[in-house]
Amino acid sequence: MIVEIALLCGLVLLSVAAVLFRDLLKAAICLAVASLLLGIIFFRMKAPYIGAFEISVVAGLITVLFITTIALTKTGGDVRESKAASWIFPLVFVVFLVLDFFVMRGLIGKIPSLEATPEHGTFGDVLWKLRTFDLVGQIGVIFAGVLAVLALFRKRDKDE
Amino acid sequence: MVFLFIALPLVVAGILPLVGKISKKVLPDLLTNSVFIILLALVFFEGRGLIGQDVAVQQLSWLGEPINIRLMLDGFSLFMLFAVSLVGFAISLFSIDYMDHYGSKANFYALFLVMLAGMNGLLLVTDLFQIYIFLEVAAVASYALVAFGLGQDELEASFKYLMLSAVASAFLLAGIVIIFGVTGGLDFETVSQGLRALDARYLVGLCAAFFILGFGLKAALVPFHAWLPDAHPSAPAPISAALSGLLIKVSGVYALTRVFLNVFGLTPALSTVLMYLGVISMVVAALLALGQTDIKRMLAYSSISQVGYIVLGIGLGTPLGILGGLFHLFNHALAKSLLFLNSGSLQMATGTRNLDEMGGLGKRMPVTAGTTLIGSLAIAGVPPLNGFWSKLIIIVALIQAKHWAFALIAVLASVLTLWYYLLIQRKAFFGKPNEKWSAVREAPFWMTVSTVLLALLCIATGIFFAGTINSWIRPAADALVKGVQTMLGSLGF
Repeated sequence: MIVEIALLCGLVLLSVAAVLFRDLLKAAICLAVASLLLGIIFFRMKAPYIGAFEISVVAGLITVLFITTIALTKTGGDVRESKAASWIFPLVFVVFLVLDFFVMRGLIGKIPSLEATPEHGTFGDVLWKLRTFDLVGQIGVIFAGVLAVLALFRKRDKDE
Repeated sequence: MVFLFIALPLVVAGILPLVGKISKKVLPDLLTNSVFIILLALVFFEGRGLIGQDVAVQQLSWLGEPINIRLMLDGFSLFMLFAVSLVGFAISLFSIDYMDHYGSKANFYALFLVMLAGMNGLLLVTDLFQIYIFLEVAAVASYALVAFGLGQDELEASFKYLMLSAVASAFLLAGIVIIFGVTGGLDFETVSQGLRALDARYLVGLCAAFFILGFGLKAALVPFHAWLPDAHPSAPAPISAALSGLLIKVSGVYALTRVFLNVFGLTPALSTVLMYLGVISMVVAALLALGQTDIKRMLAYSSISQVGYIVLGIGLGTPLGILGGLFHLFNHALAKSLLFLNSGSLQMATGTRNLDEMGGLGKRMPVTAGTTLIGSLAIAGVPPLNGFWSKLIIIVALIQAKHWAFALIAVLASVLTLWYYLLIQRKAFFGKPNEKWSAVREAPFWMTVSTVLLALLCIATGIFFAGTINSWIRPAADALVKGVQTMLGSLGF
């Protein structure tokens, strides 16, 4: 239980941070870690399919694309973080904790747990044995993303 | 062997950026065109034998161990693979000369091949989630291809396309999630069986609505068409041809048809919705096309209108209607790609897409004028060209099913089509030769070869329409007519 709560807190914390950071690189990394935590939560809640997709697509692929694009478009110079970040961040977090406490207090122990579905297995099982073909598609998406970045941020040849 | 349809374009796309460092033009041209020739040969010599009369399911193995990659090839997917490879080959021939002035040709080809891999993947999958993934592969590549020129218009159109396409993907994903929730599986057979056993009409109706929205946006049916008239004209001509000729058909019409006819099973309510969407698209887009002065925009509206015919035929659900819809899909792929490629030749020669500024170009560009005339008449449905036969079949099917009003509207929309295509002819090619265009010359060699090839195919398909129907279209229509029976028990899960 404590692990779940810690993971959920981390998820909220990092999601808020991703919104508040003005430096896109930091925001992208926060988002990646947040979705990694979400993936782990999915696994712990016995939903390995969605966990595998969350980690491979959102935490993996999208972050790669974000970081590549940011690296290619960065004009240089440090980004000044908003002053609001220093107080909104803790505030949102505290408000979340309070709301969460009141909501969960009435619910804990009362929600029947869902019956386990047949989709058991570890991350590796799901990704390599059950959804192998999706990997081919994901390679395609990664290719498309990388080639799109290469094509759209290309330097014009001298003879053009 | 079937896996090559996905693997070959992906592998070549992977090495193309590296090849581009060694040879900027010749090697990328050669590699890309070879891929299309190999795929065409595969369709002709392997595909037909592989499916025989039924569905072929291929299980891949790695070092002797079977792995969980199953590909399904039936008459419908083989027919679509044939159309994609054939039109794709003409487009890549055209790109040899046309894409020279854009630069970064290797990257362009790589993106084009990734889009091809996405489309081919979509045609071979056996699973709803895989439909979504390959849809995204093709879509991500196409966003970049629309913006390839890097101008303001291109980037804006690409962004609009990206946003609306994301909405479509979200609806599709939501539909897939609900289906997974209620049936406990994603592969076509499990879903199809699950839905049979399930008594949840409203939930299935909601999923169907999500799929219609998602695939409707991808196929650009009215009222989900807003992105297409911006995205298709902004792209480089070969990509406009690929988007209008192939992508909206594969990621819109094919996916819609496969899911509704083979997985859900076509119900009377669904059939009515599809037919109304088809008719509205047909008429509204034809009327909108009439008012355009930008040649590529006019062609883009025409695509929406013709997709309306295809959806009307398939939505009717009778064997003849499905046959006509699929035949029209093939004919439109040929003729619309030809017209978009020719609009590229015109734009390259004159520097404008505005029909009002053109005029008298027929004497300067006789081959382009001739092939445009053939393409226009084919789409408008003038005998003996291919479009005439497919429209005739659709209209006969409508009359047989006693949908008199729809049949009449289909005939009238065809007259509208002829009207705006004659406008293109009159404004661009006939009339007094404009002094401004005295230096204009015929399109370069490969561009001409490609458009002549497509024009000849339009004529040949029209004259030998019975042969085309028997060898390619009928097996495809049969797979659809069998409905959910195609999936049940044939996939071997």
